Amino acid sequence: MKKWWVFALCLVPLFGWADEKKVLHLYNWADYMKPELIQAFEEQFNCRIMQDYFDSNEAMYAKLKAGATGYDVIFPSSYMVNVMKEQGMLMPLDHDKIPNLRFIDPAYLKFTMDPVMDYGVPYMVGSTGIGYDGSRVEDFEPSWKMFNNEAYAGRMTLLNDMREAIGAALKLLGYSINSTDEAELAQARDVVIGWKRNIAKFESEQYKNGLVSAEFLLVQGYSGDILQAMDENEDVVYAIPREGTSLASDDMVIPVDAREPDLAHAFINFLHEPQNAADNTGYVYYLCPNKASYDLLAEEIRNDPSIFLDPAVVEKCEVILDLGEENAKYIKVWDEIRAAE
Amino acid sequence: MKRSRIPLVTMMLCLVFFYLPIVILVVNSFNQSRFSSRWGGFSLKWYEKLFADRSIWFALKNTAIIASAATVTSMVLGTLAAFVLHRYASRLQKLHYTLVYTPLVVPDILMGMSLLLLFASMNIQLGLTTIYLAHVTFCISYVAMVVLARLQDFDFSVIEAAQDLGANAWQIATGIFLPLLAPGILAGGLLAFTLSIDDFVITFFVSGPGSSTLPIRIYTMMKHGNPPVINALSTLLLVVTFVLVWLSQKLNVERSTA
Amino acid sequence: MTWGPRTKETLLSLPSMVWLIGLFLVPTLLVFAISFRPSTPFGGVGEGWTLETIRGLANPNYPTIIWRTVWISLSTTAICLTLAVPCAYFMARAPVRWRSFLVMLVIIPFWTNFLIRIFAWKIMLHPEGLLKKFLLMLHLVEPRTILMYNEGAVLLVLVYSYLSFAILPIYAATEKFDFGLLEAAQDLGATRLRALVQIFLPGISRGMITAALVVFIPALGSYVIPEIVGGPSSEMIGNKIAQRVFVDRNLPHASGLSALLTLAVVVPMLLVLMLQRRSPSGLSKPEGRA
Repeated sequence: MKKWWVFALCLVPLFGWADEKKVLHLYNWADYMKPELIQAFEEQFNCRIMQDYFDSNEAMYAKLKAGATGYDVIFPSSYMVNVMKEQGMLMPLDHDKIPNLRFIDPAYLKFTMDPVMDYGVPYMVGSTGIGYDGSRVEDFEPSWKMFNNEAYAGRMTLLNDMREAIGAALKLLGYSINSTDEAELAQARDVVIGWKRNIAKFESEQYKNGLVSAEFLLVQGYSGDILQAMDENEDVVYAIPREGTSLASDDMVIPVDAREPDLAHAFINFLHEPQNAADNTGYVYYLCPNKASYDLLAEEIRNDPSIFLDPAVVEKCEVILDLGEENAKYIKVWDEIRAAE
Repeated sequence: MKRSRIPLVTMMLCLVFFYLPIVILVVNSFNQSRFSSRWGGFSLKWYEKLFADRSIWFALKNTAIIASAATVTSMVLGTLAAFVLHRYASRLQKLHYTLVYTPLVVPDILMGMSLLLLFASMNIQLGLTTIYLAHVTFCISYVAMVVLARLQDFDFSVIEAAQDLGANAWQIATGIFLPLLAPGILAGGLLAFTLSIDDFVITFFVSGPGSSTLPIRIYTMMKHGNPPVINALSTLLLVVTFVLVWLSQKLNVERSTA
Repeated sequence: MTWGPRTKETLLSLPSMVWLIGLFLVPTLLVFAISFRPSTPFGGVGEGWTLETIRGLANPNYPTIIWRTVWISLSTTAICLTLAVPCAYFMARAPVRWRSFLVMLVIIPFWTNFLIRIFAWKIMLHPEGLLKKFLLMLHLVEPRTILMYNEGAVLLVLVYSYLSFAILPIYAATEKFDFGLLEAAQDLGATRLRALVQIFLPGISRGMITAALVVFIPALGSYVIPEIVGGPSSEMIGNKIAQRVFVDRNLPHASGLSALLTLAVVVPMLLVLMLQRRSPSGLSKPEGRA
């Protein structure tokens, strides 16, 4: 049969492409690291970096639980670091191998659950806020109640994350973002159900592209994502609602079953080289809490209130905590929201 | 007799429906502007960006490895299954047939979910191997069904004649059976290959570190990437699809003229 | 060879059977088993047995989603069949040299990557995209109408994704249909409609059953399409299962929903399988391309 060559050809990749270099496996959020830094690390340490992406802490956690072992560095939010630590999934960090820890800004360590950095090193801190198209949303005020505005029905999104979406409502009502009070949660549920009628969808990822292409006019989103969208569409604006919002620190952790723990430590150290940290902040527009890097940042980033938050704003914000068993209350409320017409 | 125009009109509408989104996508991959509703002039810049993205080549390599390995395995297992199913009509084969048939109709998400539970409960590390195992599982059935359909037209008297002439089982299998059935097996293999390249949902459940396939990569890009870069990638994949369809059509023609 | 025919048969059946039992049957049974396990707050599967998940399925939020899943899948099937029958008829009656070209035109979208087809619609339905501008020009929509992120968009993209699945098996059946019968019926005085309904449709019924099956069942399990083009109120069961696995860390609950969906799929399939007996043409996709 002449056609056998088709399949013979398909077999070629099975035998070719053998790779001798060490491979560092990262499990990261998408668009969350300057690509040039990865190349620089690969050259400096003669290795290859492979990145896989997750879209939520929960999805990442579920994947690890189900057997996705072999990642070397993971970038979970700090509440998830806590869960993973308690579940025995993390390797204690060897501080001798990460000398650059001395540059970490202690002001931001209060956002993480692990201020002594036994298991996790802060990678980036950011806020959740509202991104909107300034050329089309004219009556904007920095408040979560913007989602009640029917004028933008079908062109708004809320994060597809129960803690963030319900949290925004809790903040609007003046409650804590970590409330476990059922009456408060029920009130928040009704607020989100009201918002749900106005939004296009619950969306944690595509809102960035949607904002750039003016598909969405007003979104709940993470600061860095929206600041990145501003680079591509100058009409986009970022605002932190006056009721307060959630602040998050994403940490770098090494799972117990990492295959290249030494390289992983080196990578964490590398990202906290002041110049690298500054380059990274200038690319992702979240803040790498590395004191020595601040002076290396471009002027407009150094003075950007969306990146370096005003202490008065920080005062009103909270960090999302893992609620353990109480989490079920949020799942129940979220199910009711999703099912409501 | 006068014929109704309804079939013609429906056919045309369906073809427009099929191809209009694809054409817009292809045209946009050459659009200088990143906004699809505005034509900013002809440009290949999205293709340049695509070729500069290393992660796509990694994903492509993973996809090629998995698809070729899964195709070969499922061609062997599927052909064998089809042969047995056709040859014998016992209670065992009834069970066998149900086993082969059911994966075809079970939604992807169920297969992904159940395999994830299996791998998790057996502490199997997720990665290329688990994707390969999953892909073979659904490909076997498709190969078996295609080969089984071809076996219906197969003239078994040829084999009896060979037996009368003293050929042994091996000679019959390699000298007569495989060559005569080759177009069918290849068509099944081609189908398996395409399904493996195409699969997203099952792969999404059972993938692990460093095993992102092309569809997984496309999915991440759909959510985060630059839309025009996906247009460029899609256009290239469409070209591959055209070639594959053309090839499989040729295999069919070969069979019907044989 | 000294093996008896039974041994030979068993040995030859073994490879595919072992594979499918180990990687298809056992995992499916596992899904059922885990539905009866308790969940732990940190995403594990607990010890012992419980009916908690089954009671949880009585959760008042589920009927909405199940009902939505069923009606969207049924509508997709109905629309696909309605479009597929005239198309198949046209293809089967086309001159032979045109036929293979038409088949190829139908097959190409079927072979095109599933995600790419969905993505193409995302571009089409953009609120400031070409389709919207076109519809605005015809005054069919208002400037504020949103084409995407609703059940209609999910339905549209589902039909788009599965239409070729429906055309191919119906075409395969139509091609074998003896059109002389139709003309004979009309010569005997039957109206065209009556001839179609009483002779043509029963003649291609097997193709139609297969088509309905290959559209309805994957539609029931859809996950990506409602995820990408659906809105906050167009979740289907598949999305719920994914949410239970990847967000809520509740594998038993995900298993319970999966078990329910498995039953919903396997029961109609076994019915059809019984109807069609041991005929391999129940498998339409490959046959359709033959």
